[in-house]
Amino acid sequence: MIDRARRLVAVAAAAALGACGGGGGSPAAVSPPVVNNVQPVQVDLGPAGDYVNGLFTSVTLCVPGTSTCQTIGGVLVDSGSEGLRLLSSQVTLPLAPSTDGAGRLLANCASFADNSYAWGTMTAASVRLAGEQAASVPIQLVGASGLPETPADCSAGGTADDTVESLGATGILGIGVFRQDCGPACADASRVPPPVYYACDGSGCARTSVPVSGQLQNPVWLFAQDNNGFLLSLPSVPALGSRTVSGSLIFGVGTEANNALGSARVYVTDDFGNISTALNGATMSGYLDTGSNTISFLDAASFPLPTCPGPESDFACPPATASLSATNTGRSGASGAVAFTVANADSLFDTGNAAFDDLAGPDTGDFDWGLPFFFGRKTFTAIEGQPTPAGIGPYWAY
Amino acid sequence: MAALSFLVLGSTSGWAALGQPATSIARDRQRMGGELRATAALGFSVQEISSPDGIVVREYVSPAGQVFGVSWSGPARPNLIDLLGDYYPAFQQAARPPIRRRGSLVVRTGPLVVEMGGQMRALHGRAYLADRLPAAVSAAVVR
Repeated sequence: MIDRARRLVAVAAAAALGACGGGGGSPAAVSPPVVNNVQPVQVDLGPAGDYVNGLFTSVTLCVPGTSTCQTIGGVLVDSGSEGLRLLSSQVTLPLAPSTDGAGRLLANCASFADNSYAWGTMTAASVRLAGEQAASVPIQLVGASGLPETPADCSAGGTADDTVESLGATGILGIGVFRQDCGPACADASRVPPPVYYACDGSGCARTSVPVSGQLQNPVWLFAQDNNGFLLSLPSVPALGSRTVSGSLIFGVGTEANNALGSARVYVTDDFGNISTALNGATMSGYLDTGSNTISFLDAASFPLPTCPGPESDFACPPATASLSATNTGRSGASGAVAFTVANADSLFDTGNAAFDDLAGPDTGDFDWGLPFFFGRKTFTAIEGQPTPAGIGPYWAY
Repeated sequence: MAALSFLVLGSTSGWAALGQPATSIARDRQRMGGELRATAALGFSVQEISSPDGIVVREYVSPAGQVFGVSWSGPARPNLIDLLGDYYPAFQQAARPPIRRRGSLVVRTGPLVVEMGGQMRALHGRAYLADRLPAAVSAAVVR
């Protein structure tokens, strides 16, 4: 809070001086911050009123090069994906659809791990979070009217994330460790592209390759400053959870006094954004993901705790809260144990609360440190290719 | 007989779905435009289809020639309607719990177990029929 007040004073002072930009100064020098890098975030039931462990924020987007802007609340903060995706029903700004060289509409399909998908047109907007701004960012408008029917290899038997009710949010702010949603795999015109980007005309949509600069971008790396990652700071929650939790998404890693790495240990990820996580002698691919609402690990057959009866069998329901420990190891060899607890999910849901640090379940052979991990911690995410005081991203540090 | 043939053809739009005979795997390869690689293991065999778009599907076949498990990995999912076949409706119904689970998804309904997860650039998952595993073969082989 003190930090934020101090920063707001600094912003006001900078504005009074007519200062603008200036983030490219010597990194060693302690210079007063020129923009507010603290974006408020909240864990609550979300715009659909039924989200458990969803981290939400507001995003301001503008028609590029204009002051015609709109602020949209209820956007899910997802460190497990890249790119800003907004339900087109929420966007009133006149944003021009993006096209390819042949004038065909560009569309994007996001396949999420939970069998849902987002299908929508590509457009460009300037994106503002706190005082940070990215000038012209390719974003996705999910469920935009005028778009041809979802291709079968996009839906692929999944469920559509195209309404507030189905998504539980007004959009997804994907700010993971990568710069783009797909990267080189979708840019290589010499091979068959995966079902991610499509070019659409009157006869339908066909897969296409898109240069990385035209793909959905993690907006953080396009900020004028504080663009190497972010720090998520969330307070602790009690064992039975909280109705709401307020925290801060602080942009930049080691770029300002309020985002210094301090004693945080750095866990470098591999090319897929994974570290290694060991639990009870099993070693898994591990990752940190604010967009996952549980800590999930092992799989249905090897999960060490009872799961809930009935339709909620993908959540853990131990008779008494269990204490576990898993060890994360980064690609550079840094290693450390993380203790966590797992409560009975049915008991947690009965409280009507939205934020739980002890909600868990089986996975599919990976270790997914979802939002419960982030409570009571300061967790850094460094973006691929971006220099930080602890080396070049991608990494997590906590 | 003609009616039976029609029924079989009518259900052949997709992969060698879970629970079906493995004879249709060649058709799957054709559909994915990928390369087929077969390996034998103790008590079962694996047919792996690598598609040029980066999606890999593995089908696990019992000695009796039945697909008892499927797995996939890549930058997107294969079409689960095709891959899960007759089991897709049960999966779809069970995949919508009252409390939204975000991240990976684990579905157990009857003998069917479906697990999917991973990150956006590297999704993966598997499905198997717990009551069709060949003798002395564990579900852990479906990877």
